[in-house]
Amino acid sequence: MSVKIKLFSSLREVLGESEIEFDLGTLDSAPGEADVATIKAALSKCGADWREALNQPNLVHALNHKVVYTQAIVSEGDELAFFPPMTGG
Amino acid sequence: MSVALQAEAIDVAAEYARLEGGIPGAAVATFTGYVRASSDGHPVTGLELEHYPEMALKVLQELGREAESRFQLGRWRIVHRFGLLAVAETIVWVGAVADHRGQAISACEYMMDTLKTDAPFWKREQGPAGEQWVASRASDSERRARWQAREAQ
Repeated sequence: MSVKIKLFSSLREVLGESEIEFDLGTLDSAPGEADVATIKAALSKCGADWREALNQPNLVHALNHKVVYTQAIVSEGDELAFFPPMTGG
Repeated sequence: MSVALQAEAIDVAAEYARLEGGIPGAAVATFTGYVRASSDGHPVTGLELEHYPEMALKVLQELGREAESRFQLGRWRIVHRFGLLAVAETIVWVGAVADHRGQAISACEYMMDTLKTDAPFWKREQGPAGEQWVASRASDSERRARWQAREAQ
């Protein structure tokens, strides 16, 4: 029931992690009902730095390499990434 | 056509020659972006580009295909760097081949405006005062929004 969480840019730097495994089984949600917001809320309990980083305005969420809203459903084996607005080019 | 993500400098002449392919369409347009020596009045000595490789490749491939369809391109190419870059080095190169200049020029502008806000790269500028992440610019989002507004019409 694991999901791969990836962090980039200032989030990776502040939280000191680039990739972690998250167990969907630790959530109260029924299987197939865990969304990005639920996972954000669970990770925000890891500490004040996580809460602040994941609740900053303009945070971008990408599920399986596609930008999504927080209502997107997350399933086992998915890759969920959090990062600030992109600044390429 | 294709996308390249690379650490090494972009060989602009070779990219152009490959894009043109010896048999150009009626119009070939390209854009090259370089590391600037100053940013918002502060001197810049270098740039680090972090990226999300799998997503960057996917986003840029979709962008190229979208540009091809939208501007009836014969060929296109997007090259984006990552890693440590010195001032005046190339960061990004896009090229488009079409039957008319408007399509080729617009395609390059569309690809650049879109990749600035949609492709997962993050710039970290280095300077005498230290390093800092580059903040996203409202002007970049506005340029991106112009194309979305045209899509909606």
